[in-house]
Amino acid sequence: MKPTLPRALALVVAAVLLGGCASSSLIDLRNPVPVTGNAQAGAQKIELCSACHGKDGSSPVPAFANIGGQKIDYLYWELVEYQRGANPDSPMTAILASLKVSDADLRDLSAYYAAQTPAAPSGDATPFAGGEALFRHGDPARGIAPCQGCHGKAADGRLDSDATRYLAYPSLRGQHSQYLARRLKEFRDKSINLSSNDHIMHSVAHNLDDEAITELAGWLQAATP
Amino acid sequence: MHTQRRSTLLCTLPLALALATVLNAQADSGIGVDTWRANKLDPSAGAQGRMTDEFGTSWLIGGQRRSPTGNLYMCPAQPPQLDHFGDWIGYGVLEAGAVGTSGDDRNALWNRYADWDSGLILGLLDYTWQRPDDGSYANVRASRISEDDQYYQAVFGRAGAFKIQAFIRDQPNLVSSNAKPIWNGVGSDQLTLPTALTPGGSTVADVAAVSAATPERTLSVKRSKQGIGFDLNLPMRWSVYANLADEQRKGARPYGGPFFFNYPFPNNGGVLETTKPIDDHTLAINLGVRHVATQWRMDFSYSGSFYRDRYTRYTYQTPFALWAVVPGSASAPLTTGQMAMEPDNDYHNIKAAFTYKLPLNGELSLTASAGRMSQDDRLIAPIDCNGVFGIGLGGNLNPGPANPFLFRCSDWNTPAALSRRTADMRIDTSLLDARISLQPLDGISVRGGLRFNRDDYRNGYLAYNPLTGDYGYIAENGSQGSIVPGEVGLFNPVTAPSNITRVRSLPLDLQTIDANLGADWKLDNKNTLGATFAFNRYEPTHRERRRIDDNSLKLTWVNRSLDWLTLRANYTWKKSNGDPYEFDPYEFTYSIDLPGYVPPAGGTPSHTVEAMRKYDMSSRDGHKIDVMATIMPREDMTLSASLRGDWNSYDAPIGRQDYQTSSATLQWDWQPRDGTNLSAYAAWDRSHLRLSNVQDQQAGAGVDPRLGGPNYALIGQWWLRDSQRDVYAGATLDHRIGRVRIDANWNYTRARGMDRYNYAGPTALAYPALAPGAGPGGGAFPAMTYRVDSISVGVTIPLADRFALRVFDYYERGRVSDWHYSGFDTARVIDHRVYTDGGPTRYNANLVGVMLRVAL
Amino acid sequence: MTTLRKRTALLLLGASFGLASLLAHAQQTRADLARNLPSSNLSGHDVQATRTSLLGAPGFAHARVVSNPAAPDATPVGEGMCISCHQLEADHFTHTLHALGLHAANKADASVPVCETCHGAGSAHSQSPQTRGLIIGFTKDSGTPIDVQTRTCLSCHEGGPRDHWTGSVHQRNDLSCSDCHNPMANFSSEGLMAKASINDTCAQCHKDIRVQFNRRSHMPLPEGQMSCADCHNPHGSVTSPLLKTNTVNETCYQCHAEKRGPFLFEHAPVRENCLNCHSPHGSNQNTLLVAPIPFLCQQCHTGQRHPNDLHTSQSLATGSNPDERIMGRGCLTCHANIHGSNAPSGPRFHE
Repeated sequence: MKPTLPRALALVVAAVLLGGCASSSLIDLRNPVPVTGNAQAGAQKIELCSACHGKDGSSPVPAFANIGGQKIDYLYWELVEYQRGANPDSPMTAILASLKVSDADLRDLSAYYAAQTPAAPSGDATPFAGGEALFRHGDPARGIAPCQGCHGKAADGRLDSDATRYLAYPSLRGQHSQYLARRLKEFRDKSINLSSNDHIMHSVAHNLDDEAITELAGWLQAATP
Repeated sequence: MHTQRRSTLLCTLPLALALATVLNAQADSGIGVDTWRANKLDPSAGAQGRMTDEFGTSWLIGGQRRSPTGNLYMCPAQPPQLDHFGDWIGYGVLEAGAVGTSGDDRNALWNRYADWDSGLILGLLDYTWQRPDDGSYANVRASRISEDDQYYQAVFGRAGAFKIQAFIRDQPNLVSSNAKPIWNGVGSDQLTLPTALTPGGSTVADVAAVSAATPERTLSVKRSKQGIGFDLNLPMRWSVYANLADEQRKGARPYGGPFFFNYPFPNNGGVLETTKPIDDHTLAINLGVRHVATQWRMDFSYSGSFYRDRYTRYTYQTPFALWAVVPGSASAPLTTGQMAMEPDNDYHNIKAAFTYKLPLNGELSLTASAGRMSQDDRLIAPIDCNGVFGIGLGGNLNPGPANPFLFRCSDWNTPAALSRRTADMRIDTSLLDARISLQPLDGISVRGGLRFNRDDYRNGYLAYNPLTGDYGYIAENGSQGSIVPGEVGLFNPVTAPSNITRVRSLPLDLQTIDANLGADWKLDNKNTLGATFAFNRYEPTHRERRRIDDNSLKLTWVNRSLDWLTLRANYTWKKSNGDPYEFDPYEFTYSIDLPGYVPPAGGTPSHTVEAMRKYDMSSRDGHKIDVMATIMPREDMTLSASLRGDWNSYDAPIGRQDYQTSSATLQWDWQPRDGTNLSAYAAWDRSHLRLSNVQDQQAGAGVDPRLGGPNYALIGQWWLRDSQRDVYAGATLDHRIGRVRIDANWNYTRARGMDRYNYAGPTALAYPALAPGAGPGGGAFPAMTYRVDSISVGVTIPLADRFALRVFDYYERGRVSDWHYSGFDTARVIDHRVYTDGGPTRYNANLVGVMLRVAL
Repeated sequence: MTTLRKRTALLLLGASFGLASLLAHAQQTRADLARNLPSSNLSGHDVQATRTSLLGAPGFAHARVVSNPAAPDATPVGEGMCISCHQLEADHFTHTLHALGLHAANKADASVPVCETCHGAGSAHSQSPQTRGLIIGFTKDSGTPIDVQTRTCLSCHEGGPRDHWTGSVHQRNDLSCSDCHNPMANFSSEGLMAKASINDTCAQCHKDIRVQFNRRSHMPLPEGQMSCADCHNPHGSVTSPLLKTNTVNETCYQCHAEKRGPFLFEHAPVRENCLNCHSPHGSNQNTLLVAPIPFLCQQCHTGQRHPNDLHTSQSLATGSNPDERIMGRGCLTCHANIHGSNAPSGPRFHE
């Protein structure tokens, strides 16, 4: 059963148009309208989500993302992307396809999890000093840009800036390294390409070799930047 | 005939090319013309037609960024699909199809520089090859609208190393679409009358009938140009350039032909709007070497331009018979008039510029240039006639002492009648320019400049006939002397010592010295103030003044204190004056200055009124203001506004007294999303020109030059005010709906000119009897209007992968009214006046086109 | 086109392409010139030129990272890092002439920078991209001062047409190269302009001049047959209105060489300045005249007899006294060679 979300779609389209996107298939997040939602209403709907992601957004399974304390805009637009089939192999696609969720529901869910406390860093960061170097300074030799430029010095998704283009840039700190590594590889393969942010990550990840991915992912999970 | 010489000149050139070390210089913004080739179908030469990249400029920022002034940049084109040929890549576009015109598609204004023709056209062929390995590239671009409107160009080079470019282009210029020339041979150097008319012996009715029966035709000039250029980087930071271009012009245009006045003598004289043949070419050469190093820059260049005209003159037959004003006398029949064409001329110019970087962030620049413009074309005879010309007293057309107003053609229709056979005229020019700029303190820069420019005339001409001993010339093809005795234009110290006529050429040497001093002060990051004082001393020879000094002070302000506004404003105060104005410096060019001249009984008539101030010589005050603002109300919108005014007041009791122009514009540009662009503009300008003149009262014999004297009496003074008011507006839409692109364009121009006059008394008028009363009066000419509305709409629909279909329609409506041509739609022959061009006319015309666009 | 012209054009074309291929083959050596090394003498002896050749090394081989005063400690990071974030910009840039040259030079010598040639060293910007000025930007809010922007472009493009940039009216009014040019993509077919054509670029600020070309008589600029840069050098020149030649008249003679003469009998205002009678950007009169005939002429001519009469509409063909001095071409029907006459009988420009 396909969810019918005419109003949601209309809102998406409107947001997309207002956001300055010309292509109807591209989600243009370069100037998105800030996402708001009702966290309390969202709390009523987290049954299915919490099974994998936990009630506080801290996922017990390393393959599933920690979503507690993640930026609301990022959460929302990721849900929209899954809903639109950005990542057909992911369980999220099937889950969202099976649910009858409205756009307001997505916003409320995002608001709820955004309000949670982020997961604390886990593990030892010292073996991943290379990752820190990459995060802070990049590597000119391999053409790797410093992640901090977009994701913030504190790897928090640029909370220091109120520019709208950073709204949907995710926080990376304390994220499961396995999840991060898989995500980076998906970007490197260009298998996710529904939003403008995905396109940014294509060229960023293009220069990341497996070693760099491992180091970065490991450091982000363990470190307190 | 010059065809022989032309081919020789061109044939030696390839040899010159091979010998020259480096030819280079692509027409760039520093030297030469030919910077742009396109046509009315697409003035952007392909740029406008490219599909914009639906993804925009950057994944990081939405919309477009702005230039430092604040204008939004455009959305870039979609990256091309590449073809691969070994280590070369290629991409391009071919757009071809058919267009159809309808409505008044023969109209000259509609076709002016476009010459639309229904049929197949090549809209654009544009292909680029690049070799990434070493930066080599090549490009061909072509478009063909019609036989007369096409261009082809090719460039080949290596980025940063060299470039070779060649082009061929044809450009039409439709001058008239309703011409009714009564002559045969339009476009050639011999205009002959049809068999229905007898040269020198037809009646007005005959001529009018021929004119009425002549079908309307087009008069146009086509410019064809071929050019080639090289650009080369040499070792040691030198570079060399050369370009060579030859432009041919071919066609005909309305011109003239005098056989004396008609207005004072009904059924006499002849005012003939003949057609002048245009058949010439200009060869232009630019060569130079440049050296750019850290401390020094040098630039040496040579420019040459050689004009060659196929014809030295053209002749035309006159249909009308003349009669002499002396009762009982006979006017010698004249059948042929001649019109000299522009002489073949040569132009050479060499220039050397040195720039040296000074401490304090400064620069010193010295430029020296010398040139020569010369022509030595053979001179045509003073008249083209057979038999006699002039007036035969008592009806007797036998030349001799008893017939002093009659002359033998054999004494005048030959180059032997000239004081020399060729023109041998030359102007040598020299220029010296020095400028310095320094930045002594952070935020303060000063600059100064000195410039010296000189034109030296190297020769003069004395009109003297060694066969007869007469000085002067034959006025108006002999007609003047065939109607009024003594007015043939000759002075002879023995036989006609009181005739006043031009006998000498006017050498116009000049010298200008410019000096300027200026400073700019950057107050902070938001404001820059500047002031420049400039002085110009202009010293012409043989003009009304020997020295004219221009002073000006310009104040400028650039403001960026608000982040949504960039403001540039400047004000200039101008004042010019000079030495005392001498109203008649031209006596030395007249027979008045020759030995043996005897003033006529009443005295030598004055040349002009003493109070006349020719506006290039007069003292004047002026103010100029210029404001430009770029406003950024929203991230995706720009609003530009400008205001300009130029007020000049001339110290001239007679002559130009005021000239003011002002304008205001508003431009709006909106780019709501990548792939959509909406822009609009509105502009308004007006100008006022005020002049005064005074009609003489003594039938040409007045000797008192004073305004208010008996001849230039105040009662004859009149004033005219010419006001022009223009409104312009337009809008452009470029939008994408899915993959379909829609573009629309609307332009509107409305011009209205009014000429209002007033006069002190009826004798100021050409026809005093028409004045309603005896006192002062006034009136106005009908408004001169020009209004064009044009709209174009196009749709581009993508078909298969590389194919797209473009359908467009362009509709234009023009309304024009020029009172010069009032009545020419019914008759072009008015007494002894024959007009060819009917003037611009209204039109409604449409162009529809279907084009197939292929991404190559 | 006539056969002679066709033959000549083909001959020239053939000669040029022959020469071009000769030169292309000859270019195998590279002189090692450092464009940005300090040099104060003309000979270039301070520069290590191991071999001279007919052609110098391509200019792009001398590209160096330009210095950015706002980020003095930044180090170069290489094109790869720039593109990792600015991929879409790179897609548009890659087929421009600058990209072609820089990539070719970089391929031959990896130390030649690409993006950082114009934008300066990128390390500081890559770590803190929101801080304006750390990278040399050429846009409005880039944080880079205008004079740094222009100095950057001039580090390669100094001289030639830009010889008189310093002190020119555009420079004094705080314009940057990027106000008119945008080399990051091919927006125009020539000249790397910011808009689709040279004319559209100038019209951003000079719209009042651009609309004058819509008037009844104008030169073929709106039709795309010429551009503002055919007469003007926007980068600065030795004349006040930024003309490309030494004087107004010499500029006009480039296309209207027949008016150059010098004629046997001159018309003084013509020799002095074409703009005495013509309005070059457009006019409501015929043939770009400043005022209607005969009033144009009557600003200066008040000689006795026929020049100084006041005409009314009764002098037109539809009036009671049609007069040749105002109908049609007016004065010019008789005084046709008004720009000067080479006829010995032409002192009054009748012939």
